[in-house]
Amino acid sequence: MGERQCAGRKPEPTPLGAPEGREPGMGERQPSSLVDLLADARVWKLKDASASQRLSPSRPVWSTGSSALDARLPGGGWPTASLVEVLIDATGLGEMQLFLPAFVECQRRADGDVPWLAWIAPPHEPYAPALAQQGIELDRLLVIRPVTAMEALWAAEQALSSGVCAAVLLWLKGTDDRWLRRLKLAAEAGGALGVLFRPECHRFESSPASLRLLMTQGEREPRLELIKVQGGRPGLVDLGAP
Amino acid sequence: MKAHTVKTQTADLFTAPAPAPAPASAPAPALRLPTPQTPPAPRSTQLWYAVVFAPPAPVLQRLSLHAQQFTSLVSLEAPNALLLEVKGSLKLFGPLEHLQALIDARWRSLGLQAASAVAPSTLAALWCARAGKSLAIEDPAALAGRLAQLPIACTAWDADRLQTLHSMGITRLGELLRLPRAGLARRLGPAAVLDLDIALARQPGPRRAFVARQRFRERCEFETEIDHVAYLGKALEPLVGRCAQFLRERQAGVQTLALKLRHRAGPATQVRLGLASVTSERRRLADVLDQQLSRLELRAPVRALELASGALQPLSAVSLDAFSGFGNAGGPDTAAQLVERLRARLGEHAVYGVSTIPEHRPEAAWRRVHELQLDAAFAIAADRPHDAMPRPVWLLDEPSLLSRQEALQPNGWILEQGPERIESGWWDGKGVARDYYCARQARGAKLWIFQERHTKCWYLHGVFA
Repeated sequence: MGERQCAGRKPEPTPLGAPEGREPGMGERQPSSLVDLLADARVWKLKDASASQRLSPSRPVWSTGSSALDARLPGGGWPTASLVEVLIDATGLGEMQLFLPAFVECQRRADGDVPWLAWIAPPHEPYAPALAQQGIELDRLLVIRPVTAMEALWAAEQALSSGVCAAVLLWLKGTDDRWLRRLKLAAEAGGALGVLFRPECHRFESSPASLRLLMTQGEREPRLELIKVQGGRPGLVDLGAP
Repeated sequence: MKAHTVKTQTADLFTAPAPAPAPASAPAPALRLPTPQTPPAPRSTQLWYAVVFAPPAPVLQRLSLHAQQFTSLVSLEAPNALLLEVKGSLKLFGPLEHLQALIDARWRSLGLQAASAVAPSTLAALWCARAGKSLAIEDPAALAGRLAQLPIACTAWDADRLQTLHSMGITRLGELLRLPRAGLARRLGPAAVLDLDIALARQPGPRRAFVARQRFRERCEFETEIDHVAYLGKALEPLVGRCAQFLRERQAGVQTLALKLRHRAGPATQVRLGLASVTSERRRLADVLDQQLSRLELRAPVRALELASGALQPLSAVSLDAFSGFGNAGGPDTAAQLVERLRARLGEHAVYGVSTIPEHRPEAAWRRVHELQLDAAFAIAADRPHDAMPRPVWLLDEPSLLSRQEALQPNGWILEQGPERIESGWWDGKGVARDYYCARQARGAKLWIFQERHTKCWYLHGVFA
């Protein structure tokens, strides 16, 4: 923190023999109001600092609750401020169990304000007793039921970029690349984890998501495959391992 | 206290009530204070102007606004009278006669027939005005004598009580005041005695002051008709700014706004906006209006706009960001802002929360919550007890019947856990008798299924995701 402050606060060295045509600095022109002062690019505001810190690469990661999966993800858990895509055709393969422990952890660990979770267009009703059993804070869960896919994407973008939600889950049939990019940018701006559930048929389309997972039915147990891992190695994950 | 007074005092009303005996348990005073030998004389620091309007009864709220130019304390007396406290107004409006004439002239200028009176107590003034006696009494001690001539009908008591008095042969207030107090309370009820006490300024008669309802309402006419929603947003900006200013000046906020778009012909288009929490911030108001306008389809070009606020509500004190008003330093949203933006576009019921209900039947153990806890200060509740048996993350709206083939496949299902017998709800006609199992399909999906105990049919009710 202190180091960042120094780096941000350091003013541009003003040469003594500055040429006449140079843009007037603060020394020559007294700022007429607080507005002018704040508009000056050299003024470092604490708010910017906290915002940039949120975007810094050393963001927290959330443990997935499965050591086998943690070991395969860069940083050892779900990355925050990014978009994760889960390709899955049917529900019931344990896809929520990949995320629920992480959400519980992030709500528990928050000091002061408990972050929100937003579930947009879930396939069925989220069953409150089950979530309470797992430890999710129900007072901080927002279920959003848009009518059209466009509204769902808009709602996801709003929720991701608001900075209120820790995680935004979105279930979609299909969408175009442009919207995914917008969601990714919103997730980075709001510092939230965006999780997008899509059918398997989108597997071979390009996607800006930093992490893509494929869940299919296996012989005995569901199969989890990492298709794309930014900063990691794709491949099958053996969930059965402790 | 009142009952005590009524029971113990038998003296007539003209003698003031004796001072109450000191309670026995009170400690003896260290200093011997001089005890007042004479009971306190009735005194009043107020002076009330009452006006009674002749039928048809006018709208009192509107007249109160007129009356508020003479005094800040105006009280309504349904159906046709107003009470004005004028003691404080004497300094500005001259002697009492002048003030009374001034107010009376106001009613005449409005074309109303009215009778007025001034007295040190509310009921005395009201009764005089009802009796049509244009009295102006300033001395509280003179009240009893001046009221004596009034007919008892001017008290506007209920018909039973007036009939009782009539059968007693009492027609004037003076005759009533001469009766013993205890007997009066027994015959007419303590409320009547209290009324008399208030009228004689021996008891305070508190009144509810009239407070004008405040709303922001402003209209904006266009020189040319606007047929595009985007231009409407621009035209609204100054109105929203003035509305926010209006609210800030009153330290108040609104939770609802109404926007009316007037067309050349046909009815006006009404847009209602609800906010998730009380606010007076321009940015939030503009945000919600923008969202609503973006969904709006104009039927016809708009000639005029009208923005009206809902009822003003006191704004709870929150610390504001010193810099958020400058430039585009917006700062992050709050949960209330997010929910309100989502609701403005998706509809009120598209955004909700869920909560648990302590109930055995799975479908009745949860509900949707539309009043969300949006305040930032929020503590995690202590761990509540949960069912020991696992519950699925997804619950189907209705249990779906599994076909016979599905249910009887020899290795189609592996029952992993169960049975959990749930038998409940016989009292409200939606009784269930089921055995629940956690089942794993051969291909991997984990489901929550149950067997109806009476029909032996199998149903799918949830999905462990």
